Amino acid sequence: MREFDKNKIVTKRMALTVITLFAFLFLLSGFLRLQVINRDQYIQKSIDNSIRKIQLYPVRGLILDSENKILVDNRSSFSIAVIPKVINIEKLKGLCDFLQVDYEEVQDKIKKLYGFRPVIIARDVSNEILIAIEEQRQDLPGVITLVTSKRYYPDNVNSPHIFGTIGEINQVERIMNPEYDQGEMIGKSGLEKRYEKELRGNKGSQFLIVDASGRELGNYDSYQDIPPIHGSDHYLKMNYRHQQIAESLMTDNRGALVAIDVRDGGILAMVSKPDYDPRLLTGKIEEDVWNQLQNDESRPLFSRAIQSGYPPGSTYKLVAAVAALQDKIITPKWKANCPGYFKLGRKTINCWKAKGHGSLDLYGAIKNSCNVYFFQLGLKIGLDSWSKYSKLFGFGSPTGIDLTNENSGLVPTEEYFNRVFGENGWTTGNLANLAIGQGELLTTPIQLAQFAMILANKGVYYKPHFVDHLYNYSTRTTTKFPAQTEYVHGIDDEVYDIIRKAMRMVCDGGTGWLGKVPGIETAGKTGSAQNPHGPTHAWFIGFAPFEKPEIAVAVIVENGGGGGAVAAPIARKFMEIYFFGKLVPRPVVKVDTTNIPSVETIFNPIDIEPIRPIHINR
Amino acid sequence: MTGVILIQKNKFLSLDFILVFIVTCLVSIGLTAVYSATHIAVQSSGEYFTKQLMVAIIGFILMIGLAFIPFRYIQRSSYIFYGISILLLIFVLIFGSRGYGAERWLAIGSLKIQPSEFCKLATIMAVANFISKSDVDVNKLKSFLVVIGLMIVPFVLIVRQPDLGTSLVFLSIILPLLYWSGLNWFYLFVIITPLITFLLSFNFYAFLGWMIVISLILIVSRQKPIILIGVFLLHIFVGLITPILWSQLKPYQQQRILTFANPEADPQGAGYQIIQSKVAIGSGGIWGKGFLEGTQTQLRFLPAQHTDFIFSVIGEEWGFSGVLVVLILFTLILLYLIYLAGMVRSKFSSLVIIGTATVLFFHIVVNIGMTIGLAPVTGLPLPFISYGGSFLLSIFLMMGMIMNFSMNRFSHSV
Repeated sequence: MREFDKNKIVTKRMALTVITLFAFLFLLSGFLRLQVINRDQYIQKSIDNSIRKIQLYPVRGLILDSENKILVDNRSSFSIAVIPKVINIEKLKGLCDFLQVDYEEVQDKIKKLYGFRPVIIARDVSNEILIAIEEQRQDLPGVITLVTSKRYYPDNVNSPHIFGTIGEINQVERIMNPEYDQGEMIGKSGLEKRYEKELRGNKGSQFLIVDASGRELGNYDSYQDIPPIHGSDHYLKMNYRHQQIAESLMTDNRGALVAIDVRDGGILAMVSKPDYDPRLLTGKIEEDVWNQLQNDESRPLFSRAIQSGYPPGSTYKLVAAVAALQDKIITPKWKANCPGYFKLGRKTINCWKAKGHGSLDLYGAIKNSCNVYFFQLGLKIGLDSWSKYSKLFGFGSPTGIDLTNENSGLVPTEEYFNRVFGENGWTTGNLANLAIGQGELLTTPIQLAQFAMILANKGVYYKPHFVDHLYNYSTRTTTKFPAQTEYVHGIDDEVYDIIRKAMRMVCDGGTGWLGKVPGIETAGKTGSAQNPHGPTHAWFIGFAPFEKPEIAVAVIVENGGGGGAVAAPIARKFMEIYFFGKLVPRPVVKVDTTNIPSVETIFNPIDIEPIRPIHINR
Repeated sequence: MTGVILIQKNKFLSLDFILVFIVTCLVSIGLTAVYSATHIAVQSSGEYFTKQLMVAIIGFILMIGLAFIPFRYIQRSSYIFYGISILLLIFVLIFGSRGYGAERWLAIGSLKIQPSEFCKLATIMAVANFISKSDVDVNKLKSFLVVIGLMIVPFVLIVRQPDLGTSLVFLSIILPLLYWSGLNWFYLFVIITPLITFLLSFNFYAFLGWMIVISLILIVSRQKPIILIGVFLLHIFVGLITPILWSQLKPYQQQRILTFANPEADPQGAGYQIIQSKVAIGSGGIWGKGFLEGTQTQLRFLPAQHTDFIFSVIGEEWGFSGVLVVLILFTLILLYLIYLAGMVRSKFSSLVIIGTATVLFFHIVVNIGMTIGLAPVTGLPLPFISYGGSFLLSIFLMMGMIMNFSMNRFSHSV
């Protein structure tokens, strides 16, 4: 049988033909479903596949001083990032070892994010690492290098407590600011935090075509792209040259200096020492550096100018004086006798001058900073009145300066004493202490500077602020800082006149004579605050010129000794720089006069301090 | 007799131009698709296209050449060809070079060939040659077993490579060939049903229901009781052994079958290919995105887009209209081969044509079905279209042989 039966063949052919046609229809229906019926759904999927929207991060705004000198700038740095969807887990482990980053931590970061958005795993890497990564690019799918920017501070720019730091956003901050992406930088402290919204600019977006390995191949549709907008540039009130000199004046001290322009509240200088190099906290932060800063017992991370709580000492006698005058408890002519000690119940408290000041009126008491006079005055005005005037002058609450984490200090009230010591647990002794700025009272240098501003302006004051104006790149406009004018109500001009006159006397031959700026009428008040940490804190607050004040200053040197001897010269030198642009030569009284002429005239270079403090009694 | 004289007078004109036309269309479409699938993303993109073009030209010449060699030589060389193919398969197992986790290639110098592709043709020829002998009746057990034996040898060798997809092709050839050579319906039933039993044995209740159906058919068939019991026991045996066979499969083979059932379960792993392929085809729409404009293809979201998933490229760039054209061409060639199988006088020719049609059918349905998620991912290339020299060449040889049969349709078997 070499041939098939023709009749049977026809039947079989029919059967096979039917099967073939059936298969054809089967496949066709599949394509019909995909390409015709569900076409739109798959088109969307293919777009999602290959078109990626990426965030374009703006350049962070700059910070400049009043002379348009750049204080805080940006520099590009390179970061290593991985694309979670593409990265190979084994390769990732090797990469983490190579970059010396914690593998577990990176895994956590990646798990939380799904998809194509790059996750930065190492910031600010060295060139060697960058080159090594680029060379192995082909073997490391899903690993990319990103150009990111980090803060850059030009030479001679320091002031970490003013500018603050930026860092990668953490969990809590992300909850509060959902518009931020994981791994984005956010201001952590200082101006960077306070002006975060203005400094960060607006994110843009770009649509890119990517291939299956996540490689970017180019623009998809540049008309749909939104360019990022540069963060606003912030111009400070201060001339940074002044700030630099203020910092050099405070070098080797622990303490703070605050200088305010009394005409608008702009900060002219703010120093807190010791401090640290702000460059240490930009880009990649070395762990040991951070630990060292954290654990340093001198607490360099702590901004003494706004976050501290110091007893203000004798500078605070001015508050008691205002209270007594305004409440008509005394007139300036009211006299008290200072025998050198004061008996309160069974206790005896000494005036700083053991011999006593003798009989003093208010001017004399302020000029010589007599404790006994103010003990008596304190007892006369009472706690309520004292607390009321303290609060009027802004003590016990933050000044609202444009920094973060400001301390409000503490103004004790009757209610406070009752709470802390019990109803009868405190005595008039506490009140006497408060009157001379000791005891439970806590203030910040910025509050005292503000207080000096209020006295200078006779009640008018402005919220202290660093930023004078900012330039917004999206509206292309300059916005002035909204000057907030405040007024201390309920204190007569006559009271201010008396206090101001007394303050001028302090500088004209009183305890603060070293604070007088040559040729300019200067008013001030010294203070030497006793504290449990050792020698007294040296305080000086003041303003100048007397008739038409421009500047108010507060200086504290921790455990520096006498305010007149230590703090007042610093304030004076700063004011000299402010008014004259240089230090003014003056006669110097030397302690040891055996070999050296007792009076000599020299130019004082700023950073060398040939003049030893003159030990005089106040 | 006039026809025979005509053929001898003008031999070239007697070439089967229908077949030449369809083959040329399909291969051109294939070359276009290979060009598109490899043109940007791969650095050595030119290589793929040039290589495929060379194979196509050589294959085309071979095909035409094969059409004109004396008809009888083909049938006579069947067993020799079969023997050489089996030897090559054994060589592959011993010296084969690795590719995608399986040994499929035999390297001769810089040339890599895949003997399993040529073995399909050789096996078809050997079986056809055997059945076309005058004393052979497939309804007799001895002849039947020889046919099965001829199939089983290459099947086992290829399964061991391992290449499940290609080895299944051999199994698929058996049925149509036996059917075409007049196998009794009961025997066909006995061969086909165990496969269904195999599939259903994964679910106990389905298996139970199916056994009842089989029992009913067996009772109706009025065969000898011993045969009935034997067949019944065979089914029970298949049902029991399937779980054991399943565990013998390599994990990637199990994965492929499971993924076929539910591709979305593993979107990053094994299901990725099917999902991306469906996205490519679906997004092509009715008119397609245009040549070299398919984003899925050009951005290399499709894996193996120049080989196994080449049809996704066509689906994306030419859309439903392009798919329709290719499907119609495939259907036409299959229907034409079935028609031809009935036309040729020689039993050998007829069987080779049916065998070839089966191979094409199986490859086409499984490959295209795979791209739209209607068949498992088996790694079977698409005839005429997919990149791959050995397979394209073997298809050309099949076509050349069929052209030869078509020209000699009035000749008898040896």
